[in-house]
Amino acid sequence: MSANTTATQVLFDAPGPRGRRRILLLSVLSVLLILALIGAGLWQFQRNGQLAADKWIPYLRRDYLAFLGKGLAGTLEATAVAAVIAFPFGLVLALGRISRLRALSTVAAVWIEFFRGIPMLLVVYAFLLALPAYGVTFPRFWMLVIPMILVSSATTAEVFRAGIGAVDRGQNEASAAVGLTHGQTMRYVILPQAVRLVLPSLILALVSLLKDSTLGYVVSFNELQFQGKTMVSITRFLVQTYLVVSVIYIVLNFLLTKLAGLLDVRMHRRAAEGSGRR
Amino acid sequence: MIRFDHVGKTYPDGTTAVEDFSLTVDSHASVVLVGTSGSGKTTLMRMVNRMVDPTSGRVLIDDEDVAAMDPVKLRRRIGYVMQASGLLPHRTVAENVATVPHLEGVSRRRSRSRALALLEMVGLDHKLGDRYPSQLSGGQQQRVGVARALAADPNILLMDEPFGAVDPIVRAELQKELLRLQSELGKTILFVTHDIDEAFLLGEKVVILKPGGVVAQEGTPSQILADPADDFVETFVGSGRGKRALHLEEVDGRQVVVDESGRPTGVLHAAPESRS
Repeated sequence: MSANTTATQVLFDAPGPRGRRRILLLSVLSVLLILALIGAGLWQFQRNGQLAADKWIPYLRRDYLAFLGKGLAGTLEATAVAAVIAFPFGLVLALGRISRLRALSTVAAVWIEFFRGIPMLLVVYAFLLALPAYGVTFPRFWMLVIPMILVSSATTAEVFRAGIGAVDRGQNEASAAVGLTHGQTMRYVILPQAVRLVLPSLILALVSLLKDSTLGYVVSFNELQFQGKTMVSITRFLVQTYLVVSVIYIVLNFLLTKLAGLLDVRMHRRAAEGSGRR
Repeated sequence: MIRFDHVGKTYPDGTTAVEDFSLTVDSHASVVLVGTSGSGKTTLMRMVNRMVDPTSGRVLIDDEDVAAMDPVKLRRRIGYVMQASGLLPHRTVAENVATVPHLEGVSRRRSRSRALALLEMVGLDHKLGDRYPSQLSGGQQQRVGVARALAADPNILLMDEPFGAVDPIVRAELQKELLRLQSELGKTILFVTHDIDEAFLLGEKVVILKPGGVVAQEGTPSQILADPADDFVETFVGSGRGKRALHLEEVDGRQVVVDESGRPTGVLHAAPESRS
């Protein structure tokens, strides 16, 4: 944080009185514009009776909350299970890709590029439609989670690879000079540092994993999005339901992003300490 | 004893780092390789612990060819200190020092107490053992680097510009400390630097290298100063530039030492320093 302010002070001149006035004016104008847009939306809702209390009160009812809560539980479960499997698998893929064995690194590279490049919806369809045609079927939960794992492990593999590449090259050399084998260097020196480096990015990967789980509606798995869809078809409260569902997603992801930011700041503070004091 | 026997190193792209180099480093002696960048001094040092393999010739330790030894085992019995200390940032200072003993199967408690003793030996408070490297100053980190190099109690110490990245005052301190350590431990030290003053201070024998690992001159510091082999050495040790070409002038009855361009650099006293 303190590092940030000093950086801005160094890189930019502090605005003078005229600059400050201009900034204030533009800020006020943009806030007004945003308020106007929100107001227009609300007015439109009001005109169509979407803001009527009887369309919102039900969301305080226990059965409504339980219904959405079940979806939330499904979302969290799918995300957690996918993450717990996908992240270690991503690390294995990354290690495979940087392996000295040509065959292994080629296989890993092809695997990673394939699942990184393909839309997840296609993978879900493969599990929902294509594989059952050959007699391979999975429970709904896994029809969602396996595609999540395949896609997420490919993207996190690249995150890990970047992390491994970002560890100071001198560490490799120092470890060799001390007499660590290649494997020991990886285990004791490179990986612990790489994982620390990519921790914030992994949490951001968790955010995209959480959003990917919305594809659960395709396979009719009871996650939040699917529960919302079902609720709409029963109650006809389309605007209200999706607004509530959106708010839940936004709050969840906001918390995760906040956590990532917190970790990032901590890392940078450590790094700043590393650049010599006392 | 380390012996370089006509070693050479040519990289696959055709560049030659070292052409043909021979040198004997006696046991318990400290020898300094000094030269500008591109002189191959670091390459030569790295041949000793097989971080670099020579493309011709041999390096022998106590008459045994290092090429026949397992690099990992070899490196564990040779201490290595490098410029940027190379400490592991995610391990405490004590864990850093104990890395090799720990890998060799020494128990955690014993390797830790040995690590703390080593810290004391290199002039650090053992309380620093639980800090992380980033919490130490550059000079302290370098001391930890030396402690780590000594952890496996090696006979040979390789030092690759270990004091290059610290400020002059700390450097002087560390140099003095190394001389003290060496007088206690009597290791065989091969030291690499580009700083001729450092070389003269630390080396019993100094080897001045020209690009390509060509030996310009080899001898004790006083031999080299008294009788530079050629213009290159003369320039390198600074006598040609007047830095060391000092003469005496008498000012107000006192002997003043003056350099070539006439700037006074000191006052000459009689041998047992007598000051009022």
